[in-house]
Amino acid sequence: MTATTAREQTRAPAAPAQGGALAGAGTLVRFILRRDRIKLPAWLLGITFLLFYFHNVVAQATETEEQLQDVRRFMEGTIGALFGPGYGRDDITTERYLTNVYGVFFFVLAALMSMLLVSRHTRVEEQSGRSELIRSNVVGRHAQLTATLAVAAGANIVLALLLAGALAANGHDAGQGLLFGAAVATVGLVFAGITALTVQVTEYSRTATSLAGAVLGTAWVVRAVGDMLGDHGSPLSWFSPLAWSNQTRVYVDGRWWPLLLSAGLAAAAAALGYALSGRRDVGAGLVAARTGAPEAAPWLGSPLTAAFRLQRAALIWWTAALAAFGFVFGAVTDQIADPDDISGDRLEMFGGSLDTLADGYLGVITLFIAVFAGVMVVLGVQSVWAEESKGRAEPILATATSRTSWFGGYLAVIAAGLVGLLLVAGFATGLGAAVSLGDGSYILDVTAAHLAHVPGVLVMLGIAALLFGVFPRAIGVVWAVLGYSLFAGLFGTITDMPQAARNLMPMEHVGQPPLDGVSWTATVVLLLVAVALSAAGLAGFRRRDLKGR
Amino acid sequence: MTAAIATSELVKTFGSTRALDGLDLTVETGEVHGFLGPNGAGKSTCIRVLLGLLRADAGRAEVLGGDPWSSAVELHRRMAYVPGDVELWPNLTGGEAIDLLGRLRGGLDRGRRAELIERFDLDPSKKGRTYSKGNRQKVAIVAALASDAELLLLDEPTSGLDPLMEVVFQDVVKQLKAEGRTVLLSSHILAQVEHLADKVSIIRQGKIVQSGTLAEMRHLTRTTIEARTGRPVTGLEGAPGVHDLEATGDRVRFAVDGDHLDAAVRVLSRFEIRSLVSHPPTLEELMLRHYGDELAAAGNGTGREPVPAGGEER
Repeated sequence: MTATTAREQTRAPAAPAQGGALAGAGTLVRFILRRDRIKLPAWLLGITFLLFYFHNVVAQATETEEQLQDVRRFMEGTIGALFGPGYGRDDITTERYLTNVYGVFFFVLAALMSMLLVSRHTRVEEQSGRSELIRSNVVGRHAQLTATLAVAAGANIVLALLLAGALAANGHDAGQGLLFGAAVATVGLVFAGITALTVQVTEYSRTATSLAGAVLGTAWVVRAVGDMLGDHGSPLSWFSPLAWSNQTRVYVDGRWWPLLLSAGLAAAAAALGYALSGRRDVGAGLVAARTGAPEAAPWLGSPLTAAFRLQRAALIWWTAALAAFGFVFGAVTDQIADPDDISGDRLEMFGGSLDTLADGYLGVITLFIAVFAGVMVVLGVQSVWAEESKGRAEPILATATSRTSWFGGYLAVIAAGLVGLLLVAGFATGLGAAVSLGDGSYILDVTAAHLAHVPGVLVMLGIAALLFGVFPRAIGVVWAVLGYSLFAGLFGTITDMPQAARNLMPMEHVGQPPLDGVSWTATVVLLLVAVALSAAGLAGFRRRDLKGR
Repeated sequence: MTAAIATSELVKTFGSTRALDGLDLTVETGEVHGFLGPNGAGKSTCIRVLLGLLRADAGRAEVLGGDPWSSAVELHRRMAYVPGDVELWPNLTGGEAIDLLGRLRGGLDRGRRAELIERFDLDPSKKGRTYSKGNRQKVAIVAALASDAELLLLDEPTSGLDPLMEVVFQDVVKQLKAEGRTVLLSSHILAQVEHLADKVSIIRQGKIVQSGTLAEMRHLTRTTIEARTGRPVTGLEGAPGVHDLEATGDRVRFAVDGDHLDAAVRVLSRFEIRSLVSHPPTLEELMLRHYGDELAAAGNGTGREPVPAGGEER
């Protein structure tokens, strides 16, 4: 009698009736929160902090009538359409400018936060095999996805409240602030849903996030092009989930209903994700992995070609992206460099003279592209460190490959890739400028201007190489140099930064072509510095232990 | 004939850890040398020093007559290496990785490559990130064995391989041995080393604690004897070198130290031996002697027991 009762009591909790496909989801939610206890707050607070920061910047840029003129022009036409449909342009206030133009940064950040979060707790877990451990427990088929989406939804709701709070704290209408928060959060939800879908399709988390990222990129392009076609957007704009958040007209005549579209898309994408996840095995994707060549191409047989093969995809993507960026910003030169009603700040940033406004603007764009090329260079050296620390350098260096030729091969490929990138991006920017200004000579001038930055970026490469060779764990320090260069390059003149401080930026010394002439002395000195730093890095790498796994 | 590998007093420290603590290892040319030890004993560190990937803090190392640190590249043309935990490039196929590694060493034998891929049942057209651990291991094995290297450093090469592939691997190593190549085979799969190795060195806490042929090593350990006799055996109790005696009726079982084997068998022969089985000491027992000292002392009967999973790792 007692025995029977006892047995039934022990059996009851195991009964699958409660929960079913969702069994264990509650525990998993707590598990995800525990694992993301640093990451998630960092994202949420980071985005909120950015709003405070942008508010500060925007408030200072919307003080005088002259500045407002400038902002108004910025919000018009092609450039304005890159950021949004331009609501609130007719009567600009700080909060209108902040939410309707800078809003796009928050949309993208919320999307990235959600994409990475969903992929991290679904496909990454499956790929690593950890989810087998989880799924072999009393955990329902849909529990992991549900728990992940629940956390993603919660994170976006918290984000909406934080952003609304930040706007209210700055003295703006709280109701409209909440609408902006919701506009940001629904973008996050849409991309959480889309990632829940893409992680079903492929076996690899990186492919899954890239797919979702491609959707995000496409959504931005569709919205930008749609907004270029008509004032305050065209029917094309409405095909992009980013447009729905823009169309809430925050702080203008705010309306909530476009967000229903976002919520609907998020739900539909997630539902499709659930349906697809039921059709596949744990660990598998809907699309089988592609196979490749069973034998290596004949040219793949030296440290140099191996480095090229492994860096190739990154080089191509960076070049394509920066060329596209350069072309777009080159093509709007005539709008930006329109000398009517230009503010003092902007004039100073673009060289200080109305006569050379176009050259000044193109100089800033060139510097911008050069700094981003620097990002590619640093990422390249970091990938060398990843090769080593993940144990892939070891089998190579156990062959008849010297450390100098292995690391030197990477440095050569990255340096050559840099030259190729600046050549192509410079040509694209120059082409855009030539079309915009109707002056073919810009093609050559702007291409040459880009190439003039090669020595400065090579110094960055040298710094990264030295760190890798001597103290690889500190390789991140070079990001500070890059960030500093970007700041000093773009705002150095406006903020009256002393020349000594600006000289710390390697790119400063060649001048700002095409506006300035190029200093050949500086070019030679920078090249020598770059070579010396790289040589020191190579020498250091030859002397240190290889890091094992 | 010089030694393929000779180290003396090799020291390597990482922070406060002494990974190698005066290591003396000698591997003669043409032999398969088993390199046994628990995880963390310093096997991989030693192999990395021999490859010039790590620089020893003190002591001397000589590989194929050269200094592994300063002449790494020249020496590597004559060496091949299989790491214990193989990482492949996610976007290169297994075949591409094999070719790349082979060419960087200075060429590989196409026929041998094809044969090994066939024997190890490897699909060379899959991308690196899609391989299981065992398949990644196969890629590294094929890349190393398809070369004509004189000296092979194999660091736990078959971890992750299934038993069938383990057999293939043993065949291939035997073939290498027949060709006169030198192999340093680190492992804690004892049976594998036992089958393949001419000589064995046991490493513990960065030191070689024992080195020699298996015959020499066995001399140092106990042989287990099981016998049926016509009459109950007496006179073995307390005999020198005899341990763990169990006698029930006509059956007797005991372990005896190598140098007292002769005496024990003489005693036994006086009681009409009907059947006699002797178990040579296994490497498990050798390991237990070095890593399970307390276990053997406390157990008093563990001689024939398989090594408990954790026993060799302590």
